[in-house]
Amino acid sequence: MSASTTIPAESLVGKSLTRVGGRDRVTGAQRYIADIKLDGALHVKLVTLPVGHARIISIDTSLALQVTGVSCVITAADLKQPVPRFGPSFNDRPVLAVDEVKYYGEPVAAVAAEDEDSAEEAARLVQVEYEELPGVYSVERALASDAPLVQAPSLRGNNPLAHTNIINEWKLDWGNVDTAKADLVLENTYTFPMISHFAIEPFAFMASAKDGGITVWSPIQHPFVMQRIIAHVTDLPLSAVRIIAPDPGGSFGGKAYPKFEPLLALMALKTGRPVRLVLNLEESFQASRRASNQVWVRSGFDHQGMLVFQDIRADFMLGAYVDIGDRVVSKAAYTAAGPYRNPNARILARSLFSHTTPSTAFRGFGVPQVSWAIESQINQAAEKLGLDGLEIRLRNVAHKGELVIPGGTPADGHWEQTLQKAADAIDWGTPLPSGRGRGLSMGMKPSATVLSSNVLARLHMDGSLSLLMGTSDMGQGARTVFVQLAASELEVPPEKVQITMGDTSIVPFDSSTSASRSTVFMGNAVRLACQDVMRKLKEIATEQYGVAQGEIQIFGGKLHFAGRSLPYTTVLKDYFGPGRGEIIGLGTTRARFEPEHPLGGNPAFWELVAVGCEAEVDTTTGEITIHKLATVTDVGKAINPQQVETQDAGAAIMGLGHTLMEHLMLDDHGRLRNAGALDYRIPTIKDMPGSLHSGLVENQDGPGPFGAKGAGESGILSISGAVGAAVSQATGVIIRDLPLTPERVWLALQDKANINPSAIHSKSLDHDSGVHQLADGLK
Amino acid sequence: MSTFQYYRPQRFEELWQLMVEYNNAFSLLAGGTDLLVRLRKGRTNSRALIDIKGLQELHGGIQEINGGLRVGALALMGDLVDDARMQQHFPALVEAMKWVGSTQIRNRATLTGNICNASPAADTAPALLVYGARVNILGSLGERTLSLEDFFLAPGRSALNPHEIVQSIDLSYPETPNGSSFLRLTRRRGFDLATVSVACLLIPEAGRIRFGLGAVAPTPLLVIDGSGVLTQTESAQVAKESALAKLAERATPISDVRASKEYRQAMLFALMSKAQHIASERLNQSRS
Amino acid sequence: MSTQKYPIKLEVNGEWHTLQVAAQHSLLQVLRDQLNLTGTKECCDEGECGACTVLLNGRSVTSCLILAVEVDGSSITTIEGLGQGDQLDPLQESFLEHGAVQCGFCIPGIIMSGKYLLKKNPKPTYEEVQEGLAGNLCRCAGYGQIIEAVLSTAEKAGEAQS
Repeated sequence: MSASTTIPAESLVGKSLTRVGGRDRVTGAQRYIADIKLDGALHVKLVTLPVGHARIISIDTSLALQVTGVSCVITAADLKQPVPRFGPSFNDRPVLAVDEVKYYGEPVAAVAAEDEDSAEEAARLVQVEYEELPGVYSVERALASDAPLVQAPSLRGNNPLAHTNIINEWKLDWGNVDTAKADLVLENTYTFPMISHFAIEPFAFMASAKDGGITVWSPIQHPFVMQRIIAHVTDLPLSAVRIIAPDPGGSFGGKAYPKFEPLLALMALKTGRPVRLVLNLEESFQASRRASNQVWVRSGFDHQGMLVFQDIRADFMLGAYVDIGDRVVSKAAYTAAGPYRNPNARILARSLFSHTTPSTAFRGFGVPQVSWAIESQINQAAEKLGLDGLEIRLRNVAHKGELVIPGGTPADGHWEQTLQKAADAIDWGTPLPSGRGRGLSMGMKPSATVLSSNVLARLHMDGSLSLLMGTSDMGQGARTVFVQLAASELEVPPEKVQITMGDTSIVPFDSSTSASRSTVFMGNAVRLACQDVMRKLKEIATEQYGVAQGEIQIFGGKLHFAGRSLPYTTVLKDYFGPGRGEIIGLGTTRARFEPEHPLGGNPAFWELVAVGCEAEVDTTTGEITIHKLATVTDVGKAINPQQVETQDAGAAIMGLGHTLMEHLMLDDHGRLRNAGALDYRIPTIKDMPGSLHSGLVENQDGPGPFGAKGAGESGILSISGAVGAAVSQATGVIIRDLPLTPERVWLALQDKANINPSAIHSKSLDHDSGVHQLADGLK
Repeated sequence: MSTFQYYRPQRFEELWQLMVEYNNAFSLLAGGTDLLVRLRKGRTNSRALIDIKGLQELHGGIQEINGGLRVGALALMGDLVDDARMQQHFPALVEAMKWVGSTQIRNRATLTGNICNASPAADTAPALLVYGARVNILGSLGERTLSLEDFFLAPGRSALNPHEIVQSIDLSYPETPNGSSFLRLTRRRGFDLATVSVACLLIPEAGRIRFGLGAVAPTPLLVIDGSGVLTQTESAQVAKESALAKLAERATPISDVRASKEYRQAMLFALMSKAQHIASERLNQSRS
Repeated sequence: MSTQKYPIKLEVNGEWHTLQVAAQHSLLQVLRDQLNLTGTKECCDEGECGACTVLLNGRSVTSCLILAVEVDGSSITTIEGLGQGDQLDPLQESFLEHGAVQCGFCIPGIIMSGKYLLKKNPKPTYEEVQEGLAGNLCRCAGYGQIIEAVLSTAEKAGEAQS
């Protein structure tokens, strides 16, 4: 796709250009949705019930309507019938609750008023009579034969699973797990909790209907997905739907797919007024989350530590509506066996409905939930076999070109280098300070598959350049990377490159900002657009100066031919004359849709990470201290190393969050017990590891510009496995449920002490009930 | 947030009148760091907020009184932690205050407010208890003084009558030599609500050790052992542990979103022994 | 909804404003909605995240936990009040230089906390920076770069003075 992978000497590629848009972010000038005012906008407040599952008996809005300033109160009955349903995968989610509330936080009505205070007061006065129904709040409950069905079978068409809470089953099977002979078999169950994205910017949306069209403002990662869904619920053509998507104040997948934008669009159409809804943090917690899961895994190894088979069953608890959750499960299933040579594997991943907040995309997209289980298995196997975490992985990790999944994308990097670098970064193999443990893990995520991206590059008369594209810059720094690429390609100063994003009426189509795909796919499109500009420059030079195209060379921001060197500006001036004009280049990238492939196509690259951790445990309180944490990622080429490292560091800390402290808790009514900043704990600046290393492997062997692969998610993929192993080594206890809160660690230590009080500080083979067979020779 | 009337009386007379007028349906506003959260969550239904920052008499800051310090009702924790006299005489309290929220919160929150909420988990309460703090109360009918122990009645309920306010807190310098400490267990290192907190004051010459216990009972608890077992270095470990265990038994922790009852109980004992250990180390340092 | 309004005067970034505010409106709301100073951000509304940090009479506070009406007559500095004209404050420059900014939503609050920290303690240690910024959450978690940015600002200021 890219024209060359050689980096010119003067190139900006590989340099840490200061973040484009950074200045507005340090001055407070950056406008996030809540900072934008629409004249005459009505303020919306949602009405919700204090339960996870209920039948709505009646809704009385009369008191609410008496509040001064209230314009309207909308319930499902006020919308067109049947109430429009939407979703990125299935149209299953009603714009407002119909007959039933299926999760805590699902709106039953929406109030619109002249000011926020009135909307809030009126929302409190909407009287909803309801009957609480038994809810599905756990994996076990979802699968129980007497569990209520979360989604009506009638909505699920001919799906054979329509009469269960199973949304889908993803199966992969190769080799023969049943006949494979292993010397060591470990069988265990692991759990991973529900996690909140907790972007510091709470959700905010606006909508305005005008001239037969609708404009929606949303901090959405994928404006063109939003456009499609708004068109669907409003019955408007795509051309009449404009999505304005200012940079999100953090998203991490939480803002990838529509939430209340369809409701706002319909309210704007109904009221004829602009409408605005800014959720508070607690409501934001109710609007998005990561799926929890439970993974049962049986792993077989030979006596040398080679993986013989992996038999994996993962149950993911999605929410009341599918959102993108089933796609998450498909990707988790696809890479469940990890970056290893697996001769035999059987994977079954099920996505389950529950009466909880719909789970959605979250950095890592299902991989952290499975990686925790299989990496822990490998660490336990290493211990039983007298190997260490590095040796066992070096023996199993796929080498470049080897398959990790039959028919899939082969290993696309020297992964053993990545692993070794992570081990070195935490001084693996050196004497361990007393009371501490070390652990390693690896993670692998499939990148984007079926997609398309477009860039329009406009070279102006003065030699400056405008790029128009549909990527969202949500903190990863996409703008900076694209400025670097365009400035390098056309050899124009970076300060003369302007990027426009986030408005579907202006920028050309882009599938999504997801799966760490933008640097690769949009990056290639940027280069192609610039090359298109150069091609057109040659064309006009041919026409203008009568020189053959083959004789023209472009470098240094100039056209060179016949002993002449003309800057772009001269060529444009000569060609267009006083009427002026510009050159427009188009760059397009696309990945083909393969309907039979579980992911819609093979991933273009793997996002691959190795993690090392050194930790200490206070055996009295169960508190864990992370002394060292290192992630090393194979990024192919870091276009902007500072941005890559910063993202990796942030992802690693986010991974420490779900490993050590984060978990959403439900009560018996399906309500979140810890929504909000007070009792949902994320890492603070004081929770930083003693040292944090974000290493990169750059062999320029990716499909992106200059051999780049995607980055930004890898850091979070496999933190838990490394920390878990370090904790195990430090304490001799194995914990299989996240997060590793002080209380949970303490409890495990108590259990261990009760079995054998002297064993707290020593490792023991005897207490692992998961060992089924151990070859005699090993003992 | 629901609406309410706002008042900022300049004189106590006005204050008493407002208190009568709003008969319990008011809240007193000092730093507001806790009150505003409760108002926003609809946990109080006050029709009026009475801002006491207009009352000059309450702006006394820190004054030296006979044998101790008087902390005015509006003294900010951010100032108290920087005060040399506080640091010298009440180190465990300073440590506790440093745990209250963040810099931003301490720049607004008052020590008095922290105890008036009567939260069982109030960070400063255990330390104030071990130092024997006394609460000076002013009402329309006059003044009275209560020990802090008597001030806490139940979760969220203090001994203040509807028409009274806390004017100041008195702290007497503890007998010397002494050693004190404050410890707190949280779910993360960054600022957090306490799962368990413990303050300890050890006075060897009296053979007395005082523990203030937070988040393990309906109110912050003060427990005292005067037997000398816990102040003498030569006491047998078993005797010490049994004395500590006896003190810890007074706690009646509950399970909540932050921790289970069992964990709190175990941690209470662990923190008490650690706090005692640190306090005696400090005592030794002060002697040498 | 009829709400009684209270007259207040505020000095914000060096300029006095006379305002009519509702009793229940926080300083944060008034800054954002009435003065259109949207650089100060709203997130948790319970003083836990620090996104709304401003300086009130020179001290850092979370403006979500303060009523506008109770700070009548006070002086406020928001993120918009830093720097001079086009010239960024050295701390702002340092955040850019060290790559401490990702999505940017928490950054105004963190910079205000950093300003207060450096005012109180011009030569903080690594741990003192952690302590001083502990009231500000960053979910992009560029904490390491943020600490570097603050330390480097302090160092440069020290060099300039000596």
